Amino acid sequence: MKKDLVVRIGGEAGLGLAAAADILAKVFVRLGYHIYSSKEYASQIKGGHNYHTLRITNSNVSADVNDVEVLFAFSKDTIAKHYEFMKKKGIIFVDDSFNVNEEDNKNLVLIKIPVKKLEQELQEKGIVNALFLGAFVKYFGIKSSILEEVIKEFFKEKAGQGERNSKAAREAEKLVERVEEIEAHNNKFDFLSGNDAVTLGALDAGLKFHVQYPMTPVSAILHNLAKEAEKNKELKVMQVEDEIAVINMAIGASYAGARAMCASSGGGFALMIEAMGLASMAEVPLVVVEGQRPGPSTGLPTKTEQGDLKFVLYSGTGDFPHVVLAPANIEECYTETKRAFYLAEKYQLPVLVLIDKQLAESFKTLSFHDESRKLSIDFSKKYGVKIKLEDKDLRNGLFKRYQVENDGVYERTLPGTENGFYTCAGDEHDEVGEIIEEQEIRIKMMKRRMNKLDYIAKELPLQEIYGEKNAEITVVGWGSTSGAIIEAVERLQKQGKSINAFIVKYMRPFMSEEVGNVLGKAKKLILVENNYSAQLGGLIQEKTMIRFEETILRYDGKNFSVDELYEELKKKC
Amino acid sequence: MLTLKDFQREEQPNWCPTCGNFGIILSVKKALMELNVPQEETVLVSGVGCFAKLPYWIKAYGFVGLHGRSLPVAQGVKLANSKLKVIAFGGDGDGYGEGGNHFIHACRRNVNIAYFVHNNGVFGLTTGQYSPTSKKGTKSKSSPSGSEEMPVNPLALAIASGAKFVARAYSGDPKGLVEIMKKAIEYEGFAFVDIMQSCITFGKEHDYFKDKIYHLDDSYDASDKVKAMGKALDYEETERFALGIIYQEL
Ligand SMILES: Cc1ncc(C[n+]2csc(CCOP(=O)(O)OP(=O)(O)O)c2C)c(N)n1
Ligand SMILES: [Mg+2]
Repeated sequence: MKKDLVVRIGGEAGLGLAAAADILAKVFVRLGYHIYSSKEYASQIKGGHNYHTLRITNSNVSADVNDVEVLFAFSKDTIAKHYEFMKKKGIIFVDDSFNVNEEDNKNLVLIKIPVKKLEQELQEKGIVNALFLGAFVKYFGIKSSILEEVIKEFFKEKAGQGERNSKAAREAEKLVERVEEIEAHNNKFDFLSGNDAVTLGALDAGLKFHVQYPMTPVSAILHNLAKEAEKNKELKVMQVEDEIAVINMAIGASYAGARAMCASSGGGFALMIEAMGLASMAEVPLVVVEGQRPGPSTGLPTKTEQGDLKFVLYSGTGDFPHVVLAPANIEECYTETKRAFYLAEKYQLPVLVLIDKQLAESFKTLSFHDESRKLSIDFSKKYGVKIKLEDKDLRNGLFKRYQVENDGVYERTLPGTENGFYTCAGDEHDEVGEIIEEQEIRIKMMKRRMNKLDYIAKELPLQEIYGEKNAEITVVGWGSTSGAIIEAVERLQKQGKSINAFIVKYMRPFMSEEVGNVLGKAKKLILVENNYSAQLGGLIQEKTMIRFEETILRYDGKNFSVDELYEELKKKC
Repeated sequence: MLTLKDFQREEQPNWCPTCGNFGIILSVKKALMELNVPQEETVLVSGVGCFAKLPYWIKAYGFVGLHGRSLPVAQGVKLANSKLKVIAFGGDGDGYGEGGNHFIHACRRNVNIAYFVHNNGVFGLTTGQYSPTSKKGTKSKSSPSGSEEMPVNPLALAIASGAKFVARAYSGDPKGLVEIMKKAIEYEGFAFVDIMQSCITFGKEHDYFKDKIYHLDDSYDASDKVKAMGKALDYEETERFALGIIYQEL
């Protein structure tokens, strides 16, 4: 395959679009292609208009593009809805009973499948997706055995259903001619969503306790882990009454020694905020995943936005330390989740992993065999857990757990440890956790806690610059928009523009000096964000005094495609 | 063998002199002592209110978290390490108001912890507003012409929510309180004890309960859920408070 192939699968919810998208993606995974797959859906279980887009490529990408080459039209209006995105000579697989008019679809190839007829012949219902898939693999010269294997794997226990779908696919294959030839590559990829990558990162970091209340776009983390807990008896997964219970329970579990995580979207995270302060004050390790969707309020529950950056940065009363990591792609959902566990445990504070719908629910191929993606942290040991106490550790029989002179080493005992008593306190407290109001102790304790941010800043790696360090123009962004930024900038670089991209990943502690140096080199700065108020821009201005004159902002619930962003950037370069 | 002195910490409680909390803290220590629970395996979890300072004054592992949130923390502790003996403490404002949702769901979830609520019918620490268990018509700083809401019935709420061990005790009845606490701590599952308590500064006088309480005797069958519900509700009519295990699933 010389160029990218973009396949879109559109129609009403409940017709099997997701299954078709998943099966097709896995066919291409087996063929060794890179895939980036995103979905657009409405907040309803049946009906509405949903679509999945699969970008099948020869290189590693993390963004959508505009042009669609193949469309699976599960409903008649799908064609009208996506007509403007179709490439010339694009191919549409469609039910012949929709009576789609060739005249209206000039320059497109219509492959009409007699769905009704085949359903009657096969005495089946709901096999449109299998029919389209069969016709597709034949058209593109993909071995039918590959499709059958994937279908079998998809239906697993429901072998009968798998067999029926394979049969339907074979029937459809008979109806079309082979036109293209897609060769196989020798790549072995995993195919994961951001939610999957967070799940894996947490498990590889030794997660023992996960608690969550369902909320789009991160419910899949709960589903993944609930399933994992069925076979992994060391892992406890809870669904509880509300997000306040969620975070407080996670704090309790972590205090007792379990590596703990919780997850929600903005609305649920809003309920967690008081307890973010508790974890920070009581110095309890905690990992919280926040999957953004457009607010305020319920907002657009199934769409994407980067509107919670400032909210999570200032999510608490008073001055308190917490960490905010913003992975820029699905690979980093894995590595930054692992980093979150390490920092949380070593520095005994809440660490937020900030993602969004576009990251959480999009899928891509990636390779966990690639050593560079592995963060070399030894999770077999517990950081900062004291097992034996000596006299010098104690004051009147209580452990000096919140010791002030600590040189960046934060230690605690777990309940059950002999002589390790202290009070884990949300009130201001002294070194043994006794409630206090003395001013000198308050000042020392504030410093003990706030110093953590300086220690952590020293542990964070440099953030990436894409392209020449000294380029004239620097495009700045973060999180899920990074994929589109990097590709759009690459296109401009190829045209000879002196341009690079800088992706900010560490929001707190913020690397003011590093960011200031990188941005200071550019003659012109352009900021790209998926929100209304340029929140990263505000943060950068606060920390470095650098102001963005040029911004490209989008807050309609959609992510930037490479093409859209390229056009916008071109106007500004 | 543990002695009361083993639970001593350097700081002394600073509740109002003769506050019911003194009786409750002493009973907690006695119950733990008599059950001989190793101190390092004891975790006392509370929220915010006058009552909530209790873990600061007992030598064991203590966790003083947020207003209304002791139950989720305590369940998290127990679920993470089942070897620990975990007791959660609540106040009537803290546990029946702010954290009311957690109460319902802790009853359903039946994690093996004990839950003791210091029910003094008033917001003590915030200087005397009416609380979820104040009688309708209670005059307070925030209800100068009398509160308009019906009080919550914690025992009935617990039974209706699926709790399997539901008891009432009184802070002025130390012997009965220690016995019930011991049973609750030993119970395998969520064990809830509503502890009636006076508040000499903002609420009821000590002698308010004097002739209103009585102990359930052996003839009372605590395993009959329908009767238990009746027992949980009857003080609303009789103004007589039954002490003991109101409901326990066999
Ligand atoms: C979220 C939150 N809201 C309000 C408060 C203020 N507050 C502290 S204690 C309390 C009421 C305490 O009443 P109760 O739980 O009955 O305990 P008591 O003081 O009577 O023992 C309130 C409202 C708080 N600390 N946190
Ligand atoms: Mg009270």
